[in-house]
Amino acid sequence: MGVLDSLRNLLGRGPAQPDPEALAREEALKARLRERCARFRRLLSANKAALEGMSEAEALLSGGHPFGMDAVRALGTRVGASVYQMVRELNALSGNAYPELNDAFRRVHASVEACLARREHEEDVPLILPLADIRLQHMPLVGGKMANLGEVAANVGMDVPEGFAVTVAAYERFMQHNGLRDAINQRIQSTDLESLDAVFSLSASLQQLVQGASLPPELESALEAAVADMQRRLGPDLRLALRSSAVGEDGLGVTFAGQYRSELDVLPEEACDVWKEIIASKYSVTAMSYRFQRGIPDEAAPMCVGVLSMVRAEAGGVAYSRDPVAARQGREQVTLNAVPGLPQAVVDGGMTPDVFTFSRTNPPELLERQIAVKPFRLDCAPGCAQGVRRTPLSPEEGARACINDGQALHLARLALALEEFYNEPQDVEWALEMRDGASCLVVLQSRPLSESGDTAEAGRAEPLPDSIPASAILAQGGMTVSGGAAAGPLFVARKDADMLSFPKGGILVVERAHPRWAPLLPQAAAMISETGGMAGHLASVAREYGLPALFSLPDACSLLADGGMATLDADRAVVLRGEYPELLAGHEKPRNLMQGSPVQETLRNMAEFMTPLHLLDPESPEFAPASCRSFHDITRFCHEKAVELMFGENADVDQRAGKQLKAGVKLQYWVVDMDDGFSGPVTGPIVDLRDIACEPMQALWAGMTAVPWAGPPSSGAAGFMSVVFESAMNKDLESTAPAVMAEKNFFIISSKYMILQARYGYHFCTVECLAGDNQHENFVSFQFKGGAADAQRRERRARLIAELLEAEGFRVDVRKDALFAVAEGYDKQETLLRVRILGYLLIHTRQIDMIMLEEARVAAYRAKFEQDIAGLKTK
Amino acid sequence: MRALFVDDEREFLELMEKRLSRRGIEVSTAHDGLEGVKAVEEAAAAGALPDVVVMDVRMPGMDGLEALRRMKAVAATLPVVLLTGHASLGVAVEGMDLGAFDYMLKPVAINELILKMEEAARAAG
Repeated sequence: MGVLDSLRNLLGRGPAQPDPEALAREEALKARLRERCARFRRLLSANKAALEGMSEAEALLSGGHPFGMDAVRALGTRVGASVYQMVRELNALSGNAYPELNDAFRRVHASVEACLARREHEEDVPLILPLADIRLQHMPLVGGKMANLGEVAANVGMDVPEGFAVTVAAYERFMQHNGLRDAINQRIQSTDLESLDAVFSLSASLQQLVQGASLPPELESALEAAVADMQRRLGPDLRLALRSSAVGEDGLGVTFAGQYRSELDVLPEEACDVWKEIIASKYSVTAMSYRFQRGIPDEAAPMCVGVLSMVRAEAGGVAYSRDPVAARQGREQVTLNAVPGLPQAVVDGGMTPDVFTFSRTNPPELLERQIAVKPFRLDCAPGCAQGVRRTPLSPEEGARACINDGQALHLARLALALEEFYNEPQDVEWALEMRDGASCLVVLQSRPLSESGDTAEAGRAEPLPDSIPASAILAQGGMTVSGGAAAGPLFVARKDADMLSFPKGGILVVERAHPRWAPLLPQAAAMISETGGMAGHLASVAREYGLPALFSLPDACSLLADGGMATLDADRAVVLRGEYPELLAGHEKPRNLMQGSPVQETLRNMAEFMTPLHLLDPESPEFAPASCRSFHDITRFCHEKAVELMFGENADVDQRAGKQLKAGVKLQYWVVDMDDGFSGPVTGPIVDLRDIACEPMQALWAGMTAVPWAGPPSSGAAGFMSVVFESAMNKDLESTAPAVMAEKNFFIISSKYMILQARYGYHFCTVECLAGDNQHENFVSFQFKGGAADAQRRERRARLIAELLEAEGFRVDVRKDALFAVAEGYDKQETLLRVRILGYLLIHTRQIDMIMLEEARVAAYRAKFEQDIAGLKTK
Repeated sequence: MRALFVDDEREFLELMEKRLSRRGIEVSTAHDGLEGVKAVEEAAAAGALPDVVVMDVRMPGMDGLEALRRMKAVAATLPVVLLTGHASLGVAVEGMDLGAFDYMLKPVAINELILKMEEAARAAG
């Protein structure tokens, strides 16, 4: 039975002789159809959402934009949920014809979940490990700082403070005991980590959460016992230093420099509370922004804490076995920074230290000695903030070198020995302690040096080019802590609140090079500080981010207060008013910090189960649920089968409620209204074009009929082809004529949505469009495949159409003779214009595959198409 | 359209009430799963079920999945959209198996949420 007979049987009686039974049947069919259309449409929109999520994953993987673990998890969930929707809808449409799709989904789902699963730490890790037992291989359990310290003590034979590590197991136990992990993840997931404002309030709430939690009893007693043991050995005056020791810094060039808190001069009985404070510091603004920028998920950064006996430092500082900034300029040297008292003033960037430089020879030779005027010293003092007291120094005291040359030489040797042991340059934090009247060098930590981000060649610090007038110099001097040059508006930040108004791409100017400014660095073009040296945490972070930075520039805040546009050339240690492209040339953009990060790796692993498409050919026996290996495979299968169900040979839509389209005469198109696509109730089997309230369909139709079709190109096959062909314009082919080849052209519409499934001769095509007021949802897509000519000509035609569509802002993918094009995100009118253009091409590119090997004629056709499209745009 | 929002975040509920009522959607609220189930039971008894339920998953007391199960027992065709800040594909699948219309992640654009609510209400009605 033909399509028309079916329709006549069903609907042909017309309203004149109402047959209640037939009407009821019709109503029931319509209701069923509406439901099926809604399901089909949901399947299509889930398909679109899934494919969007997949391309988002690909974009994240290729871009340098930071993203968090929550974004990865959300992406996996969104794509997976959409795919599951498709499976559900297809099975509902098909009467559960594909139960094995559920198995396929669960298989892929399990793989995705496995990628997302947190790496659990082994159960039998002790809560506490004595420093004497710690070696490098314990890094995943005790963090980098403590593992290195243990190794240095045991195998390099250096003095280190006594103490123990509170391990990752203790951290996990604590989080678990208080249900913190879920609570924290939930809050992080609902925060936009790129908004500093939001991070500030998130940080406050998370730190409060951690500090309000209680230690599991077994941890509390283990910690107390370990401290009591230290006290027995070291005496009742024992004071502790609790130092954060982050896990996950190895192997990525991730330093966590100054991200986490350390607490000095802690009374033994305070150890438990202070341990919790250090855990809470994991959620400082600085640390959270840093992890986000570096692609380190929260759960990949468990916190370990070193509990060490407090060193009474006479002097302290940082030693670089190979100064990275000097190395950039072609000088190989050991650089030592020293301040009186605790080394904190060096790492916090709060003071310009004494600097000693040595050759990297054996023995090292003293090259230079710069003694600064130190305004104060820091010492341990219980009861003061972070256990530290600040004592002002007289100019005389302050001008005195805080270590002598012999001590400096000893330190240089020690730094080189550590480099030799680790086989890479080291950044060593040290303290000089008086023990029984003799000075003793104690290593507080040793870690690999972060490289200067800018990989410029050596010896770049040439004089300024002549083109730059001396009057442009705003400030000059200071210390290059991270090389390169950049331009941007100057911004002096004095208090935390200033962070929120920092302009993206600005040059940050601060008084003290304190690590709390680190969250601004990803947004900054460059930074300048009045104090601080190369060894400070902020300098390390600047180098890590590849950000030009100039420190210890006197009076920078007042000299640079005007906020105008400026250029910092850190290599030449000069700040200039205005923008100087000649100085900026050759400085590459900061590297992609996400590269190789745990978050990116997780996404990459997960994407393996999301984006690859293995199901290519619907005719192949492999095109089956059992062969689905990715979410993409499942979407492909569901889409293909759903279209088949709705429109294929055995589809039931054509025999149900489609109304034949009439525009003057009856045409070979059937229209199904799934919602509000008709302007009013339409009874009977025919709908007039004038009653179509679907804007995309009207636009398509306008395009199809805008330019009369001249008929198929003349060729040997034209006689046969012209019979096959049926045009919207061809009045000779009314529906009463016997169909030579059954055409199946269907529109499913609502007022702003349309899908056309059509077959023009040998070409199958689908046009789908959503054009509403919500611009970000709008799209128009076009797919076709097939043709009457040989494969080569069909492919050439597909490529010609692809080029025409690309010129109109479509993304086009051509595979053999199949073409897939989509334009999205345009406003309603722009979207409808593209639908008109598609309508035009639909009609006019038919059968030109026959002439695709005749170049002159192809060129002529192309010219005509382009001219006609230009005409469509002016209408 | 009448919508029932079930969520333990009061600020979120207030925001939804304010923003949706401006668009002509009548919003009632419940603060946890149990309260949500009660609201549905009462509405069913009064013959005035909401057009759509939008429900959080993680809530103290009775969570969203259990509440969904109970709501479906009372009114099988009641469309429920799960809206959560906790991204979990496992929960999404479980929710859909229990008959949730869809699973959305917070934060959600208000227009997107309304479209989904309308779609859910239409599919049921």
